[in-house]
Amino acid sequence: MTDDQLLSQLLQKALPSVDAPRPPADLWPVVVQRAAAHEKVSAADLGVAAIIATMLLMFPQWFWFLAYHL
Amino acid sequence: MPDGLDGERLERFVHGDQAAFESLFRQFEHEVYRWIVRIVRDRAAADDVLVEAFWRAYRGRARFDPSRSFGAWMRRIATNAALDHLRAARAHAGWRSADDTMPAPAGPDQALHESIAQAFRRLPPKLQVVATLALVEEQPYAEIADALDLPIGTIKSRVFRATRLLRKELARLGITP
Repeated sequence: MTDDQLLSQLLQKALPSVDAPRPPADLWPVVVQRAAAHEKVSAADLGVAAIIATMLLMFPQWFWFLAYHL
Repeated sequence: MPDGLDGERLERFVHGDQAAFESLFRQFEHEVYRWIVRIVRDRAAADDVLVEAFWRAYRGRARFDPSRSFGAWMRRIATNAALDHLRAARAHAGWRSADDTMPAPAGPDQALHESIAQAFRRLPPKLQVVATLALVEEQPYAEIADALDLPIGTIKSRVFRATRLLRKELARLGITP
């Protein structure tokens, strides 16, 4: 047996495989929730966008300042 | 089609059809889950990584080529999600929690096995993933290369580096395989 095979055997004993042929629960609803949460635009996002748009209308010279910081 | 899937279903998935996505999820979740468990070796973490992987697939659906294998594409995404999980776990909780997720081996060699497992967990995550798949799970290099979207030469080099680091660490602990 080569050194690599010995090391491999040692690792297999130290890191036994986890017997889990399938997820313990239906994870599809969690995937859907995750997708919905990312697709929804929050009120906070809309608020920030509105503030930035207002500021740019009032002070157009701030464009580069905002572009640098956002 | 490489997975025996109908192209129309894959096209619908690419265009954001949720029913097509659900049917692909149902068909591939067990296979992807088993792959993830092999890498993270922890059931609870595997649930999170599975959700993350399918979410990433949905988010990146426009980049999927329906003439290619969905299973292979999904496995690549899952491998990267598992790698990110290992990185985050390492950065967030250090070694202690990584050890907590390991099933404790029983018997007189328990201390030895725990030391080896600890040494293994000290590997950088990208080497740990490759070493898990190559040395523990004995997956062919070509399959690992495909799952990580890397050339076989890179996989061989990572296995070599992982082996060298492990031997060094084990020697430090007085273990010589």
